[in-house]
Amino acid sequence: MNDRSRAEEDLRVIRTLMERATTYRAISAPTALVGGTLSVMSAALIQLSGYPESSLGRVIRPHEFAFIWIDVLVLTVIANAFFVWREAKSSGRPFISSGMGLALRAIAPNLIVPALFTIWFLKVGFLGAVELELVVIWVVFYGLALLSTALFAPRSLAILGWAFLLTGVSVPVVANAVEGLPDDVPNVVMGLTFGLYHLIYAACVWSRKRDAGEQPVDE
Amino acid sequence: MDFDKLDKIIHEKWRLAIMALLASRRSWSFQELKAELKMSDGNLITHMRTLHKLGLISVTKEMRGRPQTSYALTAKGRASFRDHVAVLEQIVKQWKNK
Repeated sequence: MNDRSRAEEDLRVIRTLMERATTYRAISAPTALVGGTLSVMSAALIQLSGYPESSLGRVIRPHEFAFIWIDVLVLTVIANAFFVWREAKSSGRPFISSGMGLALRAIAPNLIVPALFTIWFLKVGFLGAVELELVVIWVVFYGLALLSTALFAPRSLAILGWAFLLTGVSVPVVANAVEGLPDDVPNVVMGLTFGLYHLIYAACVWSRKRDAGEQPVDE
Repeated sequence: MDFDKLDKIIHEKWRLAIMALLASRRSWSFQELKAELKMSDGNLITHMRTLHKLGLISVTKEMRGRPQTSYALTAKGRASFRDHVAVLEQIVKQWKNK
């Protein structure tokens, strides 16, 4: 190996280490898998509940709709905390790493509007059949939250953020343009975004990891 | 410009990796460095001592439930690392121009 190749290799190692140290994936593949699976199951449950032969035998009410999705969020957050704790324990890193702190600080402002809108919806909003508005707020601000980590996140997470944001903003446009949309549109949008998008993301991250392997930095 | 101009202390494979990580963040705990580099305790401690003796890194020991040692680049360490990277870039540039 000549001096140039050695110098290039050293620079590559330095760049890889520094990039890896400053990259933080706010949504891991296992978390996306859990969130995506729970979302698909919840969307299916809500969708099927309206059939007379289903166990519920009636259409899910607006505040029940909101509570089901809040439950999905809570379960996914618990699963994520478990995955982070397990990873921290096995690697000897702190539970709240500097990357996680940075991500939480970036994400937090994006959660204010959806949190307030959800509280309003649960108090009075559910009376006005505004599930579609609620879903649009959740999807758009979730996309913005992911995009707020784009400076230090891998590209796949930014793509997921854009997918949520573009889907979220296109829903009201489509709803205005198309006459007589069915009542289950909010549920379909939730299943599509929080369900399908997360499952696709998890599959992509896992397949990339498998292709790349766990390449040590010193090679 | 060639490899003889490089600081031999920094240019060792593991020490260069340690310096690169320390340059990417304000500070790193011993456990974080160990996990990131997949090094043994003894190996990492030896390299950290070498870098500390030369004044390239600072060591902070504090109690966070249990004792925790964290490391950071000193001003001298940061400048040395910057110079080292500049020399490597110079070598690559030199060969490209040949």
